[in-house]
Amino acid sequence: MLEIENLHVKVDGKEILKGIDLHIRAGEFHAIMGPNGSGKSTLSYALAGREGYEITEGAVRFRGQDLTAMNVDERAAAGLFLAFQYPIEIPGVTTMTFLKTALNAQRKARGEDELDAVRFLKLVREKAKPLNVSDDMLRRALNVGFSGGEKKRAEVLQMALLEPALAVLDETDSGLDIDALKTVAAGVNALRSPERAMLVITHYQRLLDYIVPDMVHVLSGGRIVKTGGKDLAHELEKTGYAAYGADAA
Amino acid sequence: MPPTAPMRHEEEMNDRAAQIFIDTYERERSTLPGADTWLARQREAARASFAEAGLPHRRLEEWKYTDLRQALEKAGVAASPVHGGAVVLPDTAVASAFASIDRHVLVFVNGRHRADMSRAVRLPKGVVLHPLVEVLPEQWAKDLIERRLDAARQSEDIVDLNTALMQDGVALRIRKGVRLDKPLHLVFLSADDGASHTRNLIRLDEGAEATIFESHVGTAAAFADIVTDISLGAAAGLSHVKLQDEAPGAIHMATLRAHLSERSRLSNFTFTLGCGVSRTQNFIRFEGEGAQAHVNGAYALKSQQHADHFCVIDHAVPGCTSHTLFKGVLDGASEGVFQGKVIVRPGAQKTDGRQMTHALLLSRDAAMNAKPELEIYADDVQCAHGSTVGELSRDAIFYLRARGIPETRARQLLVSAFLDEALDLVPHEEAREALKILAVDWFSGGRGAI
Amino acid sequence: MVAVRETVKTVGEVEKYKYGFTTDIESDKAPLGLTEETVRFISAKKNEPDWLLEWRLSAFRRWLTMDEPKWAKVSYPPIDFQDAYYYAAPKQSAKLNSLDEVDPKLLETYKKLGIPLTEQKMLAGVAVDAVFDSVSVVTTFKEKLREVGVIFCPMSEAVRDHPELVKKYLGSVVPTSDNFYATLNSAVFSEGSFVYIPEGVRCPMELSTYFRINEKQTGQFERTLIIAEKGSYVSYLEGCTAPQRDENQLHAAVVELVALDDAEIKYSTVQNWYPGDEDGKGGIYNFVTKRGDCRGVNSKISWTQVETGSAITWKYPSCILRGDNSRGEFYSIAISNGRQQVDSGTKMIHLGRNTSSRIISKGISAGRSSNTYRGLVSVHRKAENVRNFTQCDSLLIGDRCSAHTVPYIETKNPTAVLEHEATTSKISDDQLFYCMQRGIGEEEAVALIVNGFCRDVLQQLPMEFAVEAQKLVGISLEGSVG
Repeated sequence: MLEIENLHVKVDGKEILKGIDLHIRAGEFHAIMGPNGSGKSTLSYALAGREGYEITEGAVRFRGQDLTAMNVDERAAAGLFLAFQYPIEIPGVTTMTFLKTALNAQRKARGEDELDAVRFLKLVREKAKPLNVSDDMLRRALNVGFSGGEKKRAEVLQMALLEPALAVLDETDSGLDIDALKTVAAGVNALRSPERAMLVITHYQRLLDYIVPDMVHVLSGGRIVKTGGKDLAHELEKTGYAAYGADAA
Repeated sequence: MPPTAPMRHEEEMNDRAAQIFIDTYERERSTLPGADTWLARQREAARASFAEAGLPHRRLEEWKYTDLRQALEKAGVAASPVHGGAVVLPDTAVASAFASIDRHVLVFVNGRHRADMSRAVRLPKGVVLHPLVEVLPEQWAKDLIERRLDAARQSEDIVDLNTALMQDGVALRIRKGVRLDKPLHLVFLSADDGASHTRNLIRLDEGAEATIFESHVGTAAAFADIVTDISLGAAAGLSHVKLQDEAPGAIHMATLRAHLSERSRLSNFTFTLGCGVSRTQNFIRFEGEGAQAHVNGAYALKSQQHADHFCVIDHAVPGCTSHTLFKGVLDGASEGVFQGKVIVRPGAQKTDGRQMTHALLLSRDAAMNAKPELEIYADDVQCAHGSTVGELSRDAIFYLRARGIPETRARQLLVSAFLDEALDLVPHEEAREALKILAVDWFSGGRGAI
Repeated sequence: MVAVRETVKTVGEVEKYKYGFTTDIESDKAPLGLTEETVRFISAKKNEPDWLLEWRLSAFRRWLTMDEPKWAKVSYPPIDFQDAYYYAAPKQSAKLNSLDEVDPKLLETYKKLGIPLTEQKMLAGVAVDAVFDSVSVVTTFKEKLREVGVIFCPMSEAVRDHPELVKKYLGSVVPTSDNFYATLNSAVFSEGSFVYIPEGVRCPMELSTYFRINEKQTGQFERTLIIAEKGSYVSYLEGCTAPQRDENQLHAAVVELVALDDAEIKYSTVQNWYPGDEDGKGGIYNFVTKRGDCRGVNSKISWTQVETGSAITWKYPSCILRGDNSRGEFYSIAISNGRQQVDSGTKMIHLGRNTSSRIISKGISAGRSSNTYRGLVSVHRKAENVRNFTQCDSLLIGDRCSAHTVPYIETKNPTAVLEHEATTSKISDDQLFYCMQRGIGEEEAVALIVNGFCRDVLQQLPMEFAVEAQKLVGISLEGSVG
């Protein structure tokens, strides 16, 4: 589904990713771990197409298409979803309105018919329930005044609604207590399917106890320095990142 | 707000006070400092501009709350005499506010330097301190005097009066990388009625640092016309505190103009205890990226005092920060005015410009006018302003009294707490404490000049 | 004003006089220019009583002594007041036979705004086939209003049928001496509405609805007077979201509102006057004086406006809070794009006791436009316990436009609590990226975020207009992104 070949990315004139190779197939769940500054967020922003993240070398193919040729919303309609580490507040725009606009925009881009208000409301409520997202949250302005946990749950709700082919979760566990973490993890796990792939980016191993990966990659100094199975995460916990040449260029 | 009654263009603009200044100029021009230099031409040009514009009056938007023309006419101005004899500073808390701080002192009486009362010795190498007249031949002085910031033309015009008639002042230049070892305290005392025109020139070269205190005190019904021109070189830092407390019959007109090079820092604080009519204008222009200006103030007014503070910050280049906070307490039948303007020029991206004005009215007859303005031509900016006016919280007073604190003391605590938010922004610790004591003092009625 | 002369020629060929007056004067338009004769011509055309003619004349004579105000942050080429027609008979029947003859771009805009077909025809000047439909709806409304005693008619009709009311209230909120354009309006006004709500009556419908079905006259100098008697309520909406062109460049309307004890007037405006071409030429100048007098105790007047058109907008809907406990509100969205210039805001004058005011202003600048909020909150010495809250936010889209905030806050009473906040920023890159990552295209994302920004104001509009206004907001920003 996702093929990254020799990806080099520059931010503010500085090269952060120095040749990433990564293949993710449908149904697979990959985790990327690494110390701060290793380039984890850079990878997720570069995949999403954020301005300021310049691909200087390499290629990215997503479901057979050249991802780098598409702009941000085109990539989303093609099935890419980025769960933000710090979800953005949009004053005056209710969560409900935002969800409907996004879903219908993507459906339109794919040639599907848009959902009317009644069908949409039903769908949202259905997806919101298991995540403990209340009607009240849906009526409030998106992420405005939401606690850390509420923001992350809102992100997962969006994911559940938009049904992406590839979900990139950027430090989804940051700022969450154990209960919030469990709810978010349950929501993410509920979305696992043979047609869907996930890329979880995390600093700590803790999340991976709940969202168990198929493969773990260690990102350090802008490169993937080691790949292994889920046990690699536990090893990292013990040895720390230094063992993988974390300070090497 | 623009006048709702139509203007009659046949209305006479009677400007007798301006004429008196012009007459004084004609009489004294040959004896004014720099009469045989480039300055004479500059003075003449200034006189001509001043004659054409006249004194500012309330039909000019920027002067709508303070009619300087009317105030000077009522007061009747004549040039103040040179005061050569013995002079004693008033025995007031304000006059001695900074006495316990180790500092250099320069004293000006009626706008003229008094070496016998001053004390500025063993200055660090690279600190050049002279009375104004001695630096007039120098290019840097010429540049500062001739400069125009042009962000608030109607208000900057008053500088022409000063340029035409300036008699004396301080010229301070600090060379690259030099730090002034102790604060420099400039004391301006009005000992006699009449007008004085003072010009101060301050230039800090790259990386220089200094702290300056400026006190304006006196019991005379004087007209003090002061212009302070500041230029900060790259990464230079200036902390400036101005304290003003003059007589009920006095008129105080102070203009500060500063341009800031890249990465320089200006911390400017105005503490006004007032006089009859005062107007303090601070014009700051950013000329290099990464510079910062903190232009703050506190004022406490009583009886019939009128104090107008006008701060204009011109973000002419990107990446600069300006924060302005003014807090005022108004008692008696006093009137406070705060006007502010933050201008962000086209292309001045990544500007952070904020202005806040808060006023507390303590009596039935006090009045407050605020006009914080934003003029923005660039989009990637964070600009905000806020204004509140209100009175002491009755709930807060009740709470304090319920804890056994008598009403007057409770009100004083609240007034101090209110002003402290601004006073806390004075970087020099001892000066800050001195001003806080003055604020407490003001409330208790132990004011300076009255 | 060349456009004026050409179009008036066409208008001159047209039709009978809508209001059925017969007069001795043959021509349907006043001669070019503005003299005392012009004023007399207008007054005679409308068969006005002497007292009104005198009122106009005294305003005209005063106007001659006045200077055009120059303090607003707007600039425009000098207006030659003598090079215009100050009166032309109103248009009557349509000139086109079907929508197919209408400029397709115009139709596209109507569609985007969601305007129903019948209304599209009326706006575009196409003959309406189902005439009886609109007539019957109009008749039903007229019946309902008559039943409860609400008077709603053109100003000239009111002068004829209710002179005592007009005489009592006209000029009592905006005196003829008020400002240059109000004085001009007082001399030459010819269109506008008169509304009178009797004691205790809650007007049974939004007067906006009535207006939309009826043919909209776009008068150059409209004069509107709304009187709400004790305990009454009315919601009035003027304007429309559809782009409106007019042969007259200068629009100087005057709106006066009077709310007596316990009465409430809600006045909404949605305006999309032609803003001019890409060089800003030919657009309409909208110089309006609007003022509400909360005369009675517990009275309330609220102004809501969505301004997206005009080359130049210059208006300050204001409230005089005279009656004790009265309340004034101002909600505004002002969008400027292209080369438009907006200098708009409000004045809240607190005179009575326990009065309050609330101001929410949202300015959005795009293109090369300039958008200024100018507001005054003033508290009189005797005004006890005033409360004001003001929030002015400006959003800049692109780096070639400008946004200015000029608030005046003046108080002479210590019990007043006045709070004012203003912010200026742009749509953050983070917000745009977030929306786009969820599949929302850039222009749609901007419209979504801007609507969120304006939400507090949009909520104040009468329901049917809120939806249209939201669409209008999106359309006004088209082309401003990228």
